[in-house]
Amino acid sequence: MKDTEVVVRVAGAAGDGVQSAGLIIAKAFSRSGLYVNTYNYYQSLIRGGQSWYQIRAAHEKVRSQGDGLDVLIALNKDGLTRHTNPMINEGGASPLEGVAIFDKEITGYEKGKATYCEMPLGEIAAKYGKNALMKNTVAIGAMAAAVGLDFSILSGVIADQFGKKGDVADQNVKAAKEGYDYYSSNFKKLGKKIQYGKTKRYLMAGGEAVGLGAVSGGLKMYVGYPMTPASSVMHYLASHTEQFGLFVKVSEDEISAINMAIGANYAGVRAMTGSSGGGFALMTEALGMSGMVEVPLVVYEAQRSGPSTGLPTKTEQGDLMQVIGASQGDYPKVVFAPRNVEEAFYMTREALNLAEKLQMPVIVMSDLYLAEHYESVENLDLNFKIDRGNFAKDNQPDFKRYQYTDSGVSSRALPGQAGLMHNEDSDEHNEYGAVVSDAETDPTLRRLSMEKRMKKINIYLKEMPPTDTYRYSDAEYAIVQWGSTQGVVEEAVDMLREKGIKAGAVEINRVYPLNPDMGKLFSGKKKIIVVENNYSGQINRFLRSEFLVKTELITKYDGESFYPGALAEELEAVIRRN
Amino acid sequence: MVTLADYKGKVKPDWCPGCGNFAQLSAIGGALTELGIEPKDSVVVSGIGCSSNMPEFINMYGFHGLHGRLLPVAEAIKWANDKLTVIGYGGDGDGFFEGTQHFYHTSKRNVDITYIVSDNQIFGLTTGQASPTTSMGMVTKTTPNGNIEKPLNPLDFALTAGATFVARAFSGDAKHLKDVIKAGIQHRGFSFIDVLSPCVTYNKLNTYDFFRKRVYHIEGNDRKDLMQAYRIAQEWGDRIPIGILYENTDKTYEDYDPILSKGPLINNPVHKLVEDDLEEFV
Repeated sequence: MKDTEVVVRVAGAAGDGVQSAGLIIAKAFSRSGLYVNTYNYYQSLIRGGQSWYQIRAAHEKVRSQGDGLDVLIALNKDGLTRHTNPMINEGGASPLEGVAIFDKEITGYEKGKATYCEMPLGEIAAKYGKNALMKNTVAIGAMAAAVGLDFSILSGVIADQFGKKGDVADQNVKAAKEGYDYYSSNFKKLGKKIQYGKTKRYLMAGGEAVGLGAVSGGLKMYVGYPMTPASSVMHYLASHTEQFGLFVKVSEDEISAINMAIGANYAGVRAMTGSSGGGFALMTEALGMSGMVEVPLVVYEAQRSGPSTGLPTKTEQGDLMQVIGASQGDYPKVVFAPRNVEEAFYMTREALNLAEKLQMPVIVMSDLYLAEHYESVENLDLNFKIDRGNFAKDNQPDFKRYQYTDSGVSSRALPGQAGLMHNEDSDEHNEYGAVVSDAETDPTLRRLSMEKRMKKINIYLKEMPPTDTYRYSDAEYAIVQWGSTQGVVEEAVDMLREKGIKAGAVEINRVYPLNPDMGKLFSGKKKIIVVENNYSGQINRFLRSEFLVKTELITKYDGESFYPGALAEELEAVIRRN
Repeated sequence: MVTLADYKGKVKPDWCPGCGNFAQLSAIGGALTELGIEPKDSVVVSGIGCSSNMPEFINMYGFHGLHGRLLPVAEAIKWANDKLTVIGYGGDGDGFFEGTQHFYHTSKRNVDITYIVSDNQIFGLTTGQASPTTSMGMVTKTTPNGNIEKPLNPLDFALTAGATFVARAFSGDAKHLKDVIKAGIQHRGFSFIDVLSPCVTYNKLNTYDFFRKRVYHIEGNDRKDLMQAYRIAQEWGDRIPIGILYENTDKTYEDYDPILSKGPLINNPVHKLVEDDLEEFV
């Protein structure tokens, strides 16, 4: 681990305040001018179990949660043992070799290589308030001292966090200060070369970025049904309805949610829905309807580990086949998979424009890792031109809602417009929207209608930007990734390069349809290695069939994200294998 | 001036001769005409089934969606643009099987739309299977030994779910049918109208004759009296009540919602993101 970065982990049981402590630390680093990247390990529990929250910070862009660990705040004995014991390697995280901060009441633990900083966390907390959780604040103060963080910045974050609770903010700041002082006078600072600064950046999670991107893209209605990890978008939007003039609705089920989103879009209001895999499965029939009736629709799909209820609080990229294959029959759709938090913002609003322009469903795929971890985001471009697509003029004579045009796109009419009354039908229909499915099935019309819808995708293909690559110009080995694994794959590529292995990454954020030009990126490479956070290699099969390339596959399906060091080792093994 | 001819669709209905849906098609057009609502300002949303083909046969905005899913579409159209008169139109198989969940929750939400169910007590389009309102003992393709499931009582269900307008009409009583639909459209809030509508092909039990012998007009009831409405809703047998059982003037979902209550969503300006909106992330 680099000297210029710091990794802090807060560990404890659910209900111990692990996440809120982690967020305060992340914000304090961010306000100290550092880039931040967090990792959240938790269970589907309200109390108990074991969870941890990790913050990695540096003055250079931080692309993943990293491998090492410098400071541990252990809120219980299990947390202390787990993260300092070399025998336990959870999801690839390395055991602590830095300082462990914990309450002196925790005793009888088995010692590892860490420096154990036993502190009177509970005693100090008790001086300032009755809330047991305040010992977290004391520990955060101690952590700040350990890494040389400016206390005034930390106290600012704490004050903001508890701002609405009056005296509580003041008590917490005092408790943190005493933790800070206690650590300073009893223990040594960590030997790190952190360059703190003043650059202002935003710290946000993927779910928030999707919500913000949707607002930037002109969203007026979001309807969903709670399901981790898709809910964070709904939570963000629901808490900002007045600010953004947004209508947010929790409906009776996902089927209702998507039908509502379609109804609103049909009536001319930009609306979106979202869920995770199980809920998305329920939505699929209506997804195809949006393709058939050519009503624009954006669906946010946040993957978690499956199948079935799976691991509700764990990450995976296992829904690609489901999303690409969603709904019966052939119909056009576009699937995005943003690679990082910033891109989640930009791609969501692009999806809203594209859906209206092409009058078809666009799905934005995310996963628990992308949706819930925080990243530093800078310079978000808030300017955006909303493109509502084609609308017919009132009283247009002989209006054909589904007119066969060269592009396949025809003009829409909104209910309320004069002289454009027509029927939008989930049955196969002719240019007017009249049904050709039952008694008067017409093979010619069926063929023309199908072609009209399907050729709309060509507009997207024509405007599609080239696939991004990383350190690729002289690469001998192509490492292919899609979606949220970007940061970790880039770091692994860097590690391979340090060893003299010429690796480079192909980064796919437009997963369906794939960019037809991507095939060129694979020619002449010694090996093409696909990295996926799933069991069967879903994009791997798709790449093989689309581009007829021979690939090797590295997968991870334990519910955790990849770790750069472990991934680099696996990649090296594949590269060296004959 | 809106006339009935304005609502005449370009496509000729392909329902069986004698189907109860014809009377409903006329009644919906008639009610909208008498209320002076222009075809451009009205939307009919349907599910799947014989009755659900309606949007094609009437000249207004039409949305023919998925089996059982018309209500979420209809609700959202109303939220998007509350100047529109939104009518949901489906069948008993559509609305009371797969659509039950939406029926319950739309009633409870009291969204200002009108929901008309053409209740022929059978699956028609799929050629005669037992539906949720099929009478006990009736022989159908799926109940060759007679239906052993107690039929769902749509009126009781709507009252329990909280619909603020609950009525029943009969396709064989055209004027009354039109008047009930008119009252339902005029009602501010969720209006539910169950229409006894004989399927002349697959339901040989609940025929026009069957109903003509039994239906009577509810008269003199206190429409605000929920308990009385429940009692009327239980009547089925030799005497079958038709008319408006219940009506109240509760606030609608749109009245309660802070965003929707300001006016139709379609008129809301798009929020232009500014730096201040990002301050919370610093």
